[in-house]
Amino acid sequence: MTPKSNRLTVASRLLRALVSFHRGYFVIAVTGAAVFATATVVSSYGVKLVIDNVILPAFTAKGISFATWATTSLVVIAIGLVRAVGVVVRRSFAGVLQWSTARTIANRVLRHIMTQPAWWHRTRMTGDIAARAGVDTDAAVGILAPLPFSSSVAVLLVVAGTWLMVTDLWLGLFATLVFPVMLVMNVLYQRKVDRFYRTAQDELGSLSEAAHESFDGVLVVKAFGAEGRETERLAEISRRLRRARKQAVNLRSTFESLIDATPSLVNIAIIAFGALRIRSGDMSIGDLSSFVYLFTLVTLPLRIVSYLFSELPHSLSGWDRVQEVLTEPIIASPREQIRNIGTVGERNPLVEMEHVYAVHGSTDALIDISLCIKRGSTVAVVGSTGSGKTTLLHAIAGLVPVRSGSLSVGTKKVGLVFQEAFLFAESLRYNLTLGSEVTSDDIRRALDIASASEFVDEMGMGLDTELGERGVSLSGGQRQRLALARALAMRSELLLLDDTTSALDPATEQRVLTNLSSMHDEMTTIVVASRPSTIALADEVVFMEGGRIVAQGVHELLLETNHGYRSLIAAFEHDRSGSAP
Amino acid sequence: MSLNDDITEGLRRRGTVDTIRAGIAEAPALGKGLALTFLLALFGAAGRVTIPVVMQQAIDNGIVGAEVRVGYIFRLCAVAATVVVIAAVSQRTAVYRLGSSAEEGLYGLRVRLFDHIHRLSLAAHNDERRGALVARVTSDIETLTMFFAWGGLAWMLNLSLMFVVACVMLAYDWVLAMVAFTVVAPLILVLRLVQKRLMRAYDGVRTNNAGMLSLISETVSGVETLQAYDAVEPALFRVEEATAKRSKTSIRAGVIGAFLFPSGEVFSVFTVAAVVGIGVWRGEAAGLSAGALVGFMFLTYRFLEPIAEFTEVIDQTQTAVAGLRRVLGILDTPIGPPPATDPVELPIGQLGISLSEVAFSYAPREEEVAPTQVLSALTLNIPPAQHVALVGESGSGKTTIARLIARLADPTSGRVVIGGVNLKHVANEDLRRRLTVVPQEPFLFADTISYNLRFAKPEAPDSELWHAVEQLGLEDWVRALPHGLETQVGQRGQALSAGERQIVALLRASLVKPDVLILDEATSSVDALTEVRLARALQRLATGRTTISIAHRLSTAARADRVIVLAAGKVVEDGSHEMLMARGGEYRRMYDSWLAATNT
Repeated sequence: MTPKSNRLTVASRLLRALVSFHRGYFVIAVTGAAVFATATVVSSYGVKLVIDNVILPAFTAKGISFATWATTSLVVIAIGLVRAVGVVVRRSFAGVLQWSTARTIANRVLRHIMTQPAWWHRTRMTGDIAARAGVDTDAAVGILAPLPFSSSVAVLLVVAGTWLMVTDLWLGLFATLVFPVMLVMNVLYQRKVDRFYRTAQDELGSLSEAAHESFDGVLVVKAFGAEGRETERLAEISRRLRRARKQAVNLRSTFESLIDATPSLVNIAIIAFGALRIRSGDMSIGDLSSFVYLFTLVTLPLRIVSYLFSELPHSLSGWDRVQEVLTEPIIASPREQIRNIGTVGERNPLVEMEHVYAVHGSTDALIDISLCIKRGSTVAVVGSTGSGKTTLLHAIAGLVPVRSGSLSVGTKKVGLVFQEAFLFAESLRYNLTLGSEVTSDDIRRALDIASASEFVDEMGMGLDTELGERGVSLSGGQRQRLALARALAMRSELLLLDDTTSALDPATEQRVLTNLSSMHDEMTTIVVASRPSTIALADEVVFMEGGRIVAQGVHELLLETNHGYRSLIAAFEHDRSGSAP
Repeated sequence: MSLNDDITEGLRRRGTVDTIRAGIAEAPALGKGLALTFLLALFGAAGRVTIPVVMQQAIDNGIVGAEVRVGYIFRLCAVAATVVVIAAVSQRTAVYRLGSSAEEGLYGLRVRLFDHIHRLSLAAHNDERRGALVARVTSDIETLTMFFAWGGLAWMLNLSLMFVVACVMLAYDWVLAMVAFTVVAPLILVLRLVQKRLMRAYDGVRTNNAGMLSLISETVSGVETLQAYDAVEPALFRVEEATAKRSKTSIRAGVIGAFLFPSGEVFSVFTVAAVVGIGVWRGEAAGLSAGALVGFMFLTYRFLEPIAEFTEVIDQTQTAVAGLRRVLGILDTPIGPPPATDPVELPIGQLGISLSEVAFSYAPREEEVAPTQVLSALTLNIPPAQHVALVGESGSGKTTIARLIARLADPTSGRVVIGGVNLKHVANEDLRRRLTVVPQEPFLFADTISYNLRFAKPEAPDSELWHAVEQLGLEDWVRALPHGLETQVGQRGQALSAGERQIVALLRASLVKPDVLILDEATSSVDALTEVRLARALQRLATGRTTISIAHRLSTAARADRVIVLAAGKVVEDGSHEMLMARGGEYRRMYDSWLAATNT
């Protein structure tokens, strides 16, 4: 298979796939396009009528009647109106087709993405994934806009070509010869110019990335007096962008002039040969005029048919990126691996792990974890960075899959509070309930416990305050307290706190921790702790190192028996004493 | 339109013509040679009226009765072909000139923007505005690029064509030309009317599109939270509403556009009917010929041909003007502390710092009436080589004092003097060589550690980087990294922990060998080992330098020579750690509660 026909196959597969979402709209749009094409050809007959029946006789001795003018005019107007209706139908339904398809695909892609488990998302860039449902989908359907138009060009070429040959065979053959020439010019140009446009697009991408970084780091830039250097770095990318764009402009100006001049030159030749045909009596002046008129009309869309070709690669790459996500099988949620302990018997542990292994990236993040957590207890997980604390919480919450071993949890009401609180640009109420039914009393109570009521009350609109870009901006500590309140508002029975109180000032932290510890009877808490004050709250400490639990017990016992634990805590003490190390 | 647009647009609202004039003033390359370009475009347009004129000539002079004067027609065609070729060359030149001067102009505008944005004050650089600033140099300038590539080109070519066609029509027969113009006139009304609705529809499309994209991105970003709380379905429902809304408004705009598009063609059939009718009625008596009428008919079609394209490019033109307006809004924003006009060189050696009667307030935000007073009449003397810790609750003015000393902002009143020179008279380059800031969340570029270190001193050889590492006692840390100093730090340094980023920032600062060091300590928790490293590195870096630490960890304050306690912009306590502890005041209270929090 040649690369050329291969490309055609790929293109037609893309078009078939896209059209299949809303076939009906496509049919209507193409029907409109066909009406337009036919009316265009017929309108040239109108021109012949006007010249042969009205203009030429009017300037002879005979003259013409008002009725002749009126009927001919009505025919011309009627054809023009039919043609316009065709255009309106074609364009309207091309839009309906394009945007309905975009909507269908975007919804489908997003549902697919959101069904993939959290750990699938961690191996991918969020922006890239979101783009599949956004700009990639829009790029893919971009081809649908000019599609009905292009099909009408095809109809137009066939009907007009036939018509021209019927009018005058030799002249017709000569005129239709220019169609393929213009098409080839289009394809060649597109292929050449694409290179420059692609380069420009890449440079624009780098520019945007570099500008983002440079403005992001403005404090550093200013601190080192690097304003001039940074501007030059960005200017360098801009110069590459400018070069690619100017190369494209150069090519394009030549192409546009050629594609404009070619039909004009052919038309002049048609007039010259037409004169011979009129002399030999094979043609009337009206015939020749309508011939020239139709030829001009047909070459008009031929000038811009290159848009279709230019949309194609863009659309194809968008569709490929959409398909990449859609064809990826949905991975079962890690939650399905978690066994339910059953709620019978208060004595049963709430969390039970036996020889659990879990992977994070390519390394083992949890190694042979066996752990039993009683209902109503508070357990602190302590360890240095990378020891597996967070993975442990995420495994219990069902966000990270267990590779082997068994994990059982006695409740479905698990509230995980992340290290970085994620808030939505929505109302405070939505942020606390995430769309589930929670009474205002429960929300109030949760805010009280999380020590968030005070600043929430100051927000004017209370629970209806919009957060995010247009709304109020919150400090890190406030965000963390809201995330905690979310877990509490949802009446979680198992609360998983991942260093949640780290951004709070010591006094607020104490208040929150005290509030939490008063809820022992209704809640079990596992907390990743990096401050002694948090550790102090726990009934029991789990000490982790390199993905393993190396020690477990009450704080004082671990201090006595475990060297690693002792030196970790000592580091805190050391720092606290304020002596220079 | 988002909040971010308002910020830069609100400064000075310009009209369309004003905006374009100001744009050309900022990017002179845009306007250079524009007159010649348009003249060439007019020549180019002449090529497109050749056919109607040839038809007229051929019918009137080439076909006399039954006789066809082939020789005449051939000569006529040869002349016409020459005109078409010359016109094509002119048009090519015009298109190239327009496109290339647009690229030159926009390049200049971009660079002006980069430079200006880098020099804006930090207040103009807060997180909410960052995205907007990036948008100014990318998507807003892009709307202008797109405009020059399509809309601007279409305006130039089509206006020239309509102008030339109108001239030829008037030359043939001014009465018929007037008839044609009169029948076309209502089209302008129709266009204006529908255009307004179309513009509104496009506005809706843009708003809903932006809303949909940000909702999609937010939903994907929040996937862990949504899954952890079983809230994926309600979130998807919100997105489905947004995609439906976007699709609906886009279709609406498309339908309005679809009705507008063939309006030129519809009017041309009415115009042709009218022109032919009146032309025939007036007849030869008025000096008309059959050929002229045929030519006229063709010209009428040509005259209205560009209308369809105009309906397409008006929206693009509006978008481009709005983009330009936002770009100009940035250039209107005054830059940060103004450069010293008559710089005085800082003295050699260690530098002392003094603040006398310094006040500072933030400009009021939209919703606030009064400016926020952060400091009022603050006086402070820091002798050379002293290590001072600033302590106080958030909002007490610590960060502001540090920023004023680093001249990242100027005081509203009062003076900041460094080494005996008023900061306003110190050249920026001089100051940056002598004073360095380590911010709370140090920014790292997505490159290697050595790249980030060299940001402070581009010409530093590897040996100098290593020397800095040894000086701060960080060899073991660097050796433990997978690729030593060539380790990639990831976007914003995310591959490193917060504490490690701070370490890189200290190293980077040490390369400048500053006489004044300003350190804003990180608030986020740092693991114990890194904590120890950081404290050691800081201690070494501070030795022999005037150092100002904004201390969040009171252990840092305890190690400093002097502690200054701030509350509501005022110094409430000032002295050594031991002294203040003994005094039993505010500092004692803070220190005790910190001890309690960090105590097991």
